[in-house]
Amino acid sequence: MTEDEKFFAWLDGELAPADAAAMEAKVASDPQLQRLAEQHRALAAQLRGAFDPIARAPVPQQLQAALRPPAEVIDFAAAKGLRSLPSLPQWAAMAATLVFGLYLGTMVPQRGTGPVAVQGGQLYAASALNHALDTELASAPAGDVRIGLTFRDHSGEICRSFTASASSGLACRSNGRWRLKSLFAVPERQGTDYRMAAGMDPNLAGMVNSAMAGEPFDADAEKAARSRGWK
Amino acid sequence: MDQTSSFEDQLSGLLPRLRRLAHALSRDPADADDLAQATIERALRSRDQWQPGTKLDSWCYRIMRNLWIDTARARARKNAREAPEEEGLNIGDDPRDAMEAAVDLKRIMAAMSRLPDEQREIVALILVEGFGYREVSEMLGLPMGTVSSRLVRGRTALLAMVGEQ
Repeated sequence: MTEDEKFFAWLDGELAPADAAAMEAKVASDPQLQRLAEQHRALAAQLRGAFDPIARAPVPQQLQAALRPPAEVIDFAAAKGLRSLPSLPQWAAMAATLVFGLYLGTMVPQRGTGPVAVQGGQLYAASALNHALDTELASAPAGDVRIGLTFRDHSGEICRSFTASASSGLACRSNGRWRLKSLFAVPERQGTDYRMAAGMDPNLAGMVNSAMAGEPFDADAEKAARSRGWK
Repeated sequence: MDQTSSFEDQLSGLLPRLRRLAHALSRDPADADDLAQATIERALRSRDQWQPGTKLDSWCYRIMRNLWIDTARARARKNAREAPEEEGLNIGDDPRDAMEAAVDLKRIMAAMSRLPDEQREIVALILVEGFGYREVSEMLGLPMGTVSSRLVRGRTALLAMVGEQ
């Protein structure tokens, strides 16, 4: 080991006790080495500070989905309310933008019309869900769909998170419609008691976090956005 | 080794750390999550090769490192040809939860990406992931002296870069 390498090994706690004591004494008597030690401790702290938040952040759905055996992936075609499926490549593209664990079938279709409409390879809110996103306020919950946060995303679109009886998700306003960005099944154990105080699915919370530009709307901003047609 | 949890469960528990290492190795967050995903897929396909009782994290890191080496060169060529992709709608892939953290991460990732690959992986494993010299030497199949000298060069270059910003 060169002296340089020994110095850094000491800094990293990699030297045997006797060698460490010797290096300790050497550094103590050398202001230049002391300064170098400080700089490198700060650098290491900076590295951890930059990367550690990633290890604490929610793991993206796509990554978690990679762990699931294919058999557990929900069969889209079996989901109710989707009578005419787009062609396969379209579904493949949509699957990439959607989150696995999607469970359309649990969103109860109402009179043959599901809460989700498919158009041009995109999923849009329909019927009751669309109505709730259009009209409901988080500050005044009513009906089966409960609105969580309303905010602008990084592209300036207004987005709203929602929880329905069996699913929760995020929809953003796109050309006058609510485009679904994600949809999660509410875990079975929570049954239909979706008005949990703890609120959001952690995966959804992660998505909201990374989508949100600035602060979520307060009650006044939410109301104002509704009267402007969510523009 | 915990017999009660499945391979998938253990792998799932490793995901946050695998993502962190992927970010330390990659040029940008999108590449990092691609790398993490490829690592998971490879680990699942190669699960028979993992020996229960040995450390799963080292095994996965080794997979990630090999994939990274395989793709880094091709990706560098591709990136040189193409304009950077639009930052966009890929919700859920961005682990950052605050502007400040985002700026820090971007700055550090930029500096890391200027290190030669063989130094970057050592810096990532030891200074970011907190592995010991010996573990890294075994993981990468390198002599201790090589690990130690690459670490010195890498962190010295990094300090100079971060200092000049």
